[in-house]
Formats: sequence, C-alpha cells, structure tokens
Amino acid sequence: MPELLEIRQLSAGYGPLRVLHEIDLTVKAGERIGLVGLNGHGKTTLIRAITHMTGWQQGSVQLDGAEIGGARSLGAGRRTPGLVRRGIGVAPQGDAIFPGLSVRKHLECGAHTRAAWRERKTRIDRIFDIFPPLRELEHALVGKLSGGERRMVSIGRMLMTEARLYLVDEPSLGLAPKISQRVMEALWSLPVEGAMIIAEQNVALLTGRADRIVGMHAGRMRGDVGHVELG
Amino acid sequence: MDLGLVIYALNLAAIYALMAIGISILWSSVGIINMAHGATFAISGYAAWLATGAAKPLIEATFDSGLWTTVATASTLVGAALIAGAICGAIIYLLAFLPIHDKPNFPVRALIITLGLNIMTVQGLLWTFGPRNQGLPKVFGFGRWEIWGAKIRYDQAGTIIGAAIIMALTLAWLRYSRRGLEIRAMMQNGEGAAYSGISRQVTALPVLMLTGALAGMAAALLSQTIFFSPTAGVVPLLMGLTIALLGGLGSVPGAMIGAVLIGFLEAIVGAIPFLGQRYVMFATFAFIIAVLIVRPRGIGGLLDDTRE
Repeated sequence: MPELLEIRQLSAGYGPLRVLHEIDLTVKAGERIGLVGLNGHGKTTLIRAITHMTGWQQGSVQLDGAEIGGARSLGAGRRTPGLVRRGIGVAPQGDAIFPGLSVRKHLECGAHTRAAWRERKTRIDRIFDIFPPLRELEHALVGKLSGGERRMVSIGRMLMTEARLYLVDEPSLGLAPKISQRVMEALWSLPVEGAMIIAEQNVALLTGRADRIVGMHAGRMRGDVGHVELG
Repeated sequence: MDLGLVIYALNLAAIYALMAIGISILWSSVGIINMAHGATFAISGYAAWLATGAAKPLIEATFDSGLWTTVATASTLVGAALIAGAICGAIIYLLAFLPIHDKPNFPVRALIITLGLNIMTVQGLLWTFGPRNQGLPKVFGFGRWEIWGAKIRYDQAGTIIGAAIIMALTLAWLRYSRRGLEIRAMMQNGEGAAYSGISRQVTALPVLMLTGALAGMAAALLSQTIFFSPTAGVVPLLMGLTIALLGGLGSVPGAMIGAVLIGFLEAIVGAIPFLGQRYVMFATFAFIIAVLIVRPRGIGGLLDDTRE
C-alpha cells in the first residue's frame, strides 16, 4: 500500500536559482504535518513544487503511488489544475484571491468537481459554519475585505472540494495574532479526512496540534523535529 | 449637441466596444494581445458576404414577402459572421496558443504570431478577392426615421441595438454561467484559478471563440455602413487595441466607457468645422495618450475600488 505522498530527491527552483536540494518527505493518509523554517528556506517552494508551480523541478513526487513529479524545465502551472482535480487542495501564500468576485463566487470556484458543484450551496453553508464572519460578507467583493477575511476565503475555497492532500502556506502570515490564532484553530478542528501540510514560521501555533513537525533549512529537510526540542 | 451626432457617436462606440471588449478579455484571461483580431474581423466580413451571396437565390425562392426575406438575410449575415469569427478564434487557439503557451515569453511570441497571421490574412484576402470593395446586403434597409428633427438611419439604429444585445448576452454569460465564472476568475488571478482547478489550456478555447465571434459581430454590423475590403480590419483592430488600453486591459466596463468616449470624441472632432475628419485620428490618439499619462491603468483603474 503506497503512502499518500512520497517525495524522493526533489529539487526545484526558478531559472538559475536552486531553492530545494534533494528533498525527501513522506506523508501518511490523515496526517497533519507542520512544516517549519525561516523565511526563504524553501517552505513555499516545496508546496509550489508539489503542484508544479516552480520554474523548474526534478525528482519524484508520488500521490497514492502515481508519479506526479518528474523533470521539468518549463510550463510552470501547466499541470497545476490537473493536480488540483486529482485531489490536492491549496491555500497559497498571498491568498491568490479574485479581487472582483464576491465571497460566494470564490467559494463556487473552489467547487471544481462535478459532485462539489452540484452541492455547492450546502458546501458553502459548511464553510460559513467554519468561518462565521464570512456569512455576512457573502456578497461582498473579496478585494475589499481585510487580510484575515481574505485568508478565510482562500482557505474556504480550498475546502470546497474534498482533497486527499491539503497544502496550506503560511496561514498566519500578515495577520494579527488573535486572528491568526482563530484561523489556525479552524484549520486544526477541520473534520477533513485528507492529510494536511501547514507551512508556518510560528512554531508555537503548531506545537501540540500537528502530528509531526518537520523543519526546513536552506532548502534541505532538517529531519523530523520533536515537539520537546522546540518547546 | 444634436441628436444625429449622438447617434453617429454611439454607432462608432458600438463597433469599437465589440472589438475592444474582445481584446481586453483575451489579454487578461489568456495573455494574448491578439493582433489577428483585425484578420478575424475581415474574414468574418467576407464570410458574411459569401454566405449571403450563396443563400440569396434560396431565400428569394422560399419567401415571398419582403419582411421574411429581410429576416432570413439578416440571420444568414449575422450567423455567418459569428460562426466565421468563432472559427477564426479556434484557429488562433491552434496556431498562436496551444504550441507555445508554456514557453518562456509567451505573450511576446503570441503577439508576433498573431501579427503574422493578420498580415497573411490580409494578403490572402487580397489574393483571393482582389482589392475591390464588396457591398453586403443592407438588411436594415435604406430608410431613416425623423425624431425631433434629427435623421436616424436604419443601419445606425440597427448597429447600436445589435451591438447592445450581443454585449448584454456576453456579459450575462460571463456573469451567470459556470464557464463565465471560470473566465472571470482567470482574468483576475491566474494562480488562484489554477489552484481552483481551472485549466488555461481548456478555457482559452471558448475565450478565443467568444472574442472572435464578437469581432465577427462587429464586422456584420459595420458592413451595414461601409463597404468591405481586405484591409477593412485594420482600423477596427487599431481602435479596438487602443480603446482596450484606454479602458485598462482586463476591464470590460472600462473598455465600454472608453469606446463611448472615443466614439463621441470622433463624432465631435469630425463635426467641428476647422478640424474635420482629417484630425479625428490625431485627436483620438492625443486623448488616449493624455489619459494614459494621467492614469496608467486606464479608465478601469478608476472603476476598480478594491484594495491592492
């Protein structure tokens, strides 16, 4: 039985710049993994490499035993929609929102599979239960929302379709401590079955909640970091 | 300002808006500055000319009354132009999008390829049909109404109404259909669209066909006012591009407002005795340059009140 996600010898970067150096990482089904590391050490690039958003990449990435990696020097983003449809949900850094669409339309965009699109009403309701502040903003343009509300929209869009693997990039970035705590709280208490990788600088937001915390340093895995060490 | 001038301005605005909206949507969603939009325009005009010519005997044999003949001719004309425009869009998809969309510098490559397609098309049309002007059947007739002392020609009224209908349909489709939602998402944030499972490869085809059909509609409508020649697409392309820029590339309302502004500017400059038609292009471009110096994001930037 293959693991949910198996990354072997993954290197990636942009143009002449190599950001990731032979990364190995295995994710089991249902696991919640915290990915920690300083700014610029490759957390975001790892998430982008899994979804083919880096400039180039090489190395093996297997989702449920199917190869989704390989060597690639062009076509950033070309396979991304296909990978999303195969069950990778992403809440990217910077939220990648559509400023001129309403909250509801955003969430509808997230319902990309046929089944999700058919039950989009109930699913949107469920997102509103997870993030209650969004309910009143249903018809507001997302371009006018605050940073915290945008983050909720971005994560909500990711949750509209069940994924096997959720990639959440820096959910606390740029948010006031109280709001980032609320966002993290919502993430931890999600009743999702898929595995989740949360890239985060603030280790305190991960300790005690993540099943496993892995560290990144200078584009390499620092191995599993125990909770005790970090505490 | 007299009503005739207003109607003339709106007539120009209708044609320009159809061209500019297509260019604007295509650039912001797919990333092509479509220099072949003028070729699409010209081919659609010729397709409408050929189709109405071929269908004429059939239409005359089938219908006796004048009204039904007109309706059948009009449907043939508009249908042929729309279909030809959409087919041109599909060809541009095959030649200028699919082979190069994941290569570096895609926008520049696409610009060069579509420019090449445009030149080839004009030469091809010259080769096939010669430089002669072709008159398409005037489906709106030659009459005119008199309203408050102003004379409105049927073709002007028909153009304005036809363009308004097709633009309303396009906007409604973009607003309420699922495909339209995907296109709008792609226009606003390509990365967010990719993470929502929206594929640029798949969505580019309907976008190109839609914008091509809009150019075809512009050709069908303009053919009611002018004669058609192989170079008929040059001015609409030029005006469409500059108005799309003026409106702020990617902003559909911006392109519409830009088209109305330029339409009125053209009509007014043309009507001022000491300026006249000679100075229309000069005044238009001076205005567009002035606006872009003051507001580099164009009119769309004024409408857009979202946070960065």
